Amino acid sequence: MHTSEHSKTAEKFIVPIGPQHPALKEPGHFEFSVEGEVVTAATVRLGYAHRGIEKGTESRNYVQNLYLLERICGICSHIHATAYCLGVEQLAEVEVPPRAQAIRELVAELERIHSHLLWLGVAAHEAGFDTLFMYSWRDRETVMDILEGLTGNRVNYSANVLGGVKYDVDDEQSKAIRQGIDFLEERTHHYLDVVTSDPVFVQRTRDIGVMTADDARRLGVIGPTARASSVGRDIRIESPYAAYADFPVKLVLETAGDLEARFVVRLKELFESYRVIREILAALPPGELTAKRMPRKIKAGEVISRVEAPRGELLYFIKSNGTDMPERIKVRTPTLCNMASVLTLTVGHHLADVPMILVGIDPCFSCNDRGVILQHQDGHDHWNWERLRQFGIDYYAGRR
Amino acid sequence: MLKPWSAETNTPQANRLDVVIGAADLVTAVAALRQAGWGYLAAITGLDLGVDAGRMEVLYHFCEGAAVLTLRVMIDRETAVIPTLCNLIPSASFFERELIEMFGITVEGTPNTDHLFLPDEWPEGVYPLRKDFQPNA
Repeated sequence: MHTSEHSKTAEKFIVPIGPQHPALKEPGHFEFSVEGEVVTAATVRLGYAHRGIEKGTESRNYVQNLYLLERICGICSHIHATAYCLGVEQLAEVEVPPRAQAIRELVAELERIHSHLLWLGVAAHEAGFDTLFMYSWRDRETVMDILEGLTGNRVNYSANVLGGVKYDVDDEQSKAIRQGIDFLEERTHHYLDVVTSDPVFVQRTRDIGVMTADDARRLGVIGPTARASSVGRDIRIESPYAAYADFPVKLVLETAGDLEARFVVRLKELFESYRVIREILAALPPGELTAKRMPRKIKAGEVISRVEAPRGELLYFIKSNGTDMPERIKVRTPTLCNMASVLTLTVGHHLADVPMILVGIDPCFSCNDRGVILQHQDGHDHWNWERLRQFGIDYYAGRR
Repeated sequence: MLKPWSAETNTPQANRLDVVIGAADLVTAVAALRQAGWGYLAAITGLDLGVDAGRMEVLYHFCEGAAVLTLRVMIDRETAVIPTLCNLIPSASFFERELIEMFGITVEGTPNTDHLFLPDEWPEGVYPLRKDFQPNA
């Protein structure tokens, strides 16, 4: 693959990363041009997990599509399904009962907790901090147990149906959720303390990958990555959906704009999630779980459904044509928006910082898709992700 | 603000405004939005209106808070060409790459025309999101 961009950088080292990423367990291919230790340019190639889902939706009916779209991603499965259902329900002019919307929000926040804890572990692993990785993933078991108790699945909860939700929350589950949340809240305080005070970890995150608010706006970043640079984009607050108008969350902002800020934002958001979950459990509206009638044929129209996934804004554009199959479903995932920032941010940084900068945006390649080559002047040298990650760890170990 | 270039406007939902504009006015309209500091480019959606219709539509979604502004540009299906937004919005590159490979739309002046999602060996001239492309299910 050679384009005009690559021929310009032919005389420099180009470090490709991926597509096999032992760290991320998801494939993506980056090429970083380096001069010595410093990154001078970066390009990305996605598509290794591309499954033709958008095309697939055009030959399946709306019910089948719910199951298809839920599987775009394992840990943002619920939010994808929620965005989809909210959109189709609007097109069909169906009103969803308040209890269902509240349960949707409950599961969405539980999913956010799951996702952020998972990310914390992965990010720690990237930095070589495996102890933190192990502990955060152990704690992640708690939220997965809660979700399994509610929906029967640890990942990919499938709680939505068109018109409402499948699962209710009874008193026993409510109690289990509260206990789990209490435990996780205590642990989150500890993690926040660790990431902001452990000197080795801080060395890899403070003042690394700094993105100013202006840059963030210009690069079009969203979600926690933007909020870490004081750009207050959060769909739950700007454009409340499901039950967020009744059970709102507060905006969590950090100003430093560096990697450390991205850690702090996600951890602090967890406290908001814990708080709002308790509120929902205390005031769950009574009533039905599904709308009385959900038509199979959806009248022609277009709708844009925006929600806040753990990684940022998720946008669904749905065009219906009066039949039981959609005309077009366009899914724009948050990682695609934030990916551009990685390419810009890594320039000027050391190669060793690249894995951390990438993980800072919390990339989800499944959501995206729908691999690293080091090119030396005289020959080829191939690095895989594991080698780059280890390089980063060793580099900083050498500097201590 | 977009009055000078809008051929037609529509409010399909309370928080949404659709503005139909010509391909020639697209860049100027977006420049006006940038100048006013209104919204960020959230997505670019391609719509194939079908072989019979002979046209495709490109939707540019800009979001500011809860409001969504969609600029709709109609283009000819055979000679599908649209100008790039990358000079104004560099992050549009990803969205434009997807448009090029999935719909076969030529985006004039876009800096990177590599495939984004499709494999490099994907056959030339085959555009998966066009209506006449049927995957072997």
